[in-house]
Amino acid sequence: MSSIAELLWAEKYRPKSLDEIVNQEEVVTRLKKFVEEKNMPHLLFAGPPGTGKTTAAHALAHDLYGENYQRYLLELNASDERGIDVIRTKVKEFARSRVPGEIPFKIIILDEADNMTADAQQALRRLMEMYTATTRFILIANYPSKIIEPIQSRCAFFRFTPLRKEDVIARLRWISEQENVQYDIEALEVIYEISEGDMRRAINILQAAAALGKVTVEAVYKVVGLAHPREIKEMIKLALDGRFTDARDKLRQLMVEYGLSGIDIIKQIHREIFSADLKLPEPLRVLIADYAGEIQFRLAEGGDDEIQLNAFLARLVLVGKKLKA
Amino acid sequence: MPTKELPWVIKYRPKKIADVANQDKAKKEFIEWLTAWLHGKPSKKAALLYGPPGCGKTSMVEAAAHEYGLELIEMNASDFRRREDIERVAKLAATQMSLFGSRRKIILLDEVDGISGTADRGGLNAILELIEITIHPVVMTANDPWDTKLKPLRDASKLIAFNRLTETVVARVLSYICKSEKIECDDKALRYLAKLSDGDLRSAINDLEAIARGYGKVTLDLVKALVRRRDREYSPFEALRNLFMSKYAWQAKLAVTQTNIDYETMMQWINENLPNQYSDPEDLWRGYEALSRASVYLGRIKRTGNWDLLSYVFDMMGAGVALARMKSKYRWVKYSFPQRILLMSKTKQVREIRDALARHLAAKLHVSSRIVKSDYIPMLQIIFVNNPKYAARIAIGYNLTENMVKYLAGPRSNEVLRYIRELKERGVPEEEKKEGERVKRTRRTSGRSGRRSSGKGTQTQLPF
Repeated sequence: MSSIAELLWAEKYRPKSLDEIVNQEEVVTRLKKFVEEKNMPHLLFAGPPGTGKTTAAHALAHDLYGENYQRYLLELNASDERGIDVIRTKVKEFARSRVPGEIPFKIIILDEADNMTADAQQALRRLMEMYTATTRFILIANYPSKIIEPIQSRCAFFRFTPLRKEDVIARLRWISEQENVQYDIEALEVIYEISEGDMRRAINILQAAAALGKVTVEAVYKVVGLAHPREIKEMIKLALDGRFTDARDKLRQLMVEYGLSGIDIIKQIHREIFSADLKLPEPLRVLIADYAGEIQFRLAEGGDDEIQLNAFLARLVLVGKKLKA
Repeated sequence: MPTKELPWVIKYRPKKIADVANQDKAKKEFIEWLTAWLHGKPSKKAALLYGPPGCGKTSMVEAAAHEYGLELIEMNASDFRRREDIERVAKLAATQMSLFGSRRKIILLDEVDGISGTADRGGLNAILELIEITIHPVVMTANDPWDTKLKPLRDASKLIAFNRLTETVVARVLSYICKSEKIECDDKALRYLAKLSDGDLRSAINDLEAIARGYGKVTLDLVKALVRRRDREYSPFEALRNLFMSKYAWQAKLAVTQTNIDYETMMQWINENLPNQYSDPEDLWRGYEALSRASVYLGRIKRTGNWDLLSYVFDMMGAGVALARMKSKYRWVKYSFPQRILLMSKTKQVREIRDALARHLAAKLHVSSRIVKSDYIPMLQIIFVNNPKYAARIAIGYNLTENMVKYLAGPRSNEVLRYIRELKERGVPEEEKKEGERVKRTRRTSGRSGRRSSGKGTQTQLPF
């Protein structure tokens, strides 16, 4: 028993400096150059979730400014800030304060920058130019293609790739040892498979499984099953059974009670399509998966969550009807 | 185009400010403001004319342009959604002399209250910039200028109020037009038309013209048979009925635009009622497919600010949805209010707690609240429901409120809360304090060095 306060492991074991980051060697090598030179351009970090983009940005700032780096860092999340005006005000205020002696600039991390509208990105571009003497931006995005050309051309580009299996497992083992967690090595492998190279997810699953007791394959599946509401499966079955409005009720429950976004739901549906619980002729799985992909694309394009998923459910009703005939 | 074919609203629009029906106070204020402009220094560089639809705001500006020989540069709300557009058109017009000589200009931005939400924030700023640099009078019109988002515009403008026109005034103008057009009309009919128009002269003239051109005369019976209250007053129920009964694409497009709700809400109404109306699975799917396309277009508009795409939204949510019915016949069904909107208000409290929790953790975990909701909260719920003791320590670690704990722990809330109280009262025993500090130190230096010595090789014990 340690301190009475416990933290989430994804945060507790987040690498503090570039040296501690085990993956993304190419990225880390280039970032260390900036630390040596005590200078850097604007940066664009792109890659899938849980590959260390935010961690790398913090580690870079840490290595540049030392332990108290937070003072020289402004962290914004584009999807949580209310509009570009709020961002502008915060940047303006932050840029006004003094820069550290040795390094002539401060750092602004803008996470989920690809969620900004094109107009907001244009405004951001102007901001970047306006304060370029005293600040550097690190823009973080899942999809770099959603960042407008003029911003891309002003940033050094860094691509983050999904973590390798051995690295994820080594990290999970190490955390387990720090926390005195009992585990089966197979369970860690299953965690890797499920998390698909997303370190944040992997560590979260580990912590939740550990809270149930020994981390076994069963415990991992239990956690993942619990985290994926059974309503998803029920919803699919209802739709295939031709009961559209009942399926839609489940969908609303998922959105309103669980607070899941359309993208979260369609991703979970995608996982279910190929599960053995769902009795479907194999070719139909492919058909449905294809349509799920189309819906996910439309959601990313900005379509309304419920309308897009209802279109998907209506398609399932149709598939179900043909199946019975 | 020969004069007789001009729509009457254009043919009979006032040529001089004095010709504008009523609005004496507005006229006086407007003339004062405009003359100040033309003779040098105006009090405010822009004027904001506000009042109900069809009461003469735009007509007044057009009449003024005509009377003072100004070139009217007109832009509609849909034109200046994008900052580039306003910069290109309006600033050029304002800061450069006209190609043929130096005729002065007046810039009209119609329906500025049509600018909505964050997507148009750039547009609003562009207008403010325009007002700052313009060398020509800028006039804006709005139905409702009191929206908070329009405050900067209000501050930068001379506000001029227009009143709703009375029935008598509207009827008088209608009567004048009938005389000029040599149309047989009865006063009761004009009076009734005026009443239906709700003070909207433009709509009254349009209605008058439709009847007169179709029947050559205007009688009370004709008006009662042909004229409904204005299009925009269709309730969503009526609009849905019109939509699903539509046989032609144009009818369906009209149906979704002529409502008293905005198109996004209309989409929710269609979304709710599609399965009530379309019993055949194929029709239902085609209907949703069309609605889905409409919502994607709307999403693209919001993301890129490209409002040209708006008509495709109506194509798909109107014509696309209505013409999706190929297998089943139209039948009367009862429409219902969008459940999602009801559900959202019913679950407001829970969602507020969840959102507060997400924001609270987002700041500490360096992720967006969306990621907290999708990645962290489900895992936390598992921990809170299955291991209240450990959950209590996390709750302390993140300073969670009682409501947040209840949201995460559900049926085991009381246990978690009791542990939290116990842990806080007991405090940290001496030897554990050291351990706690060491954990902190380990966190800071962290790394893979694995400084901790305790617990190595004792993997059979749970940490909590």
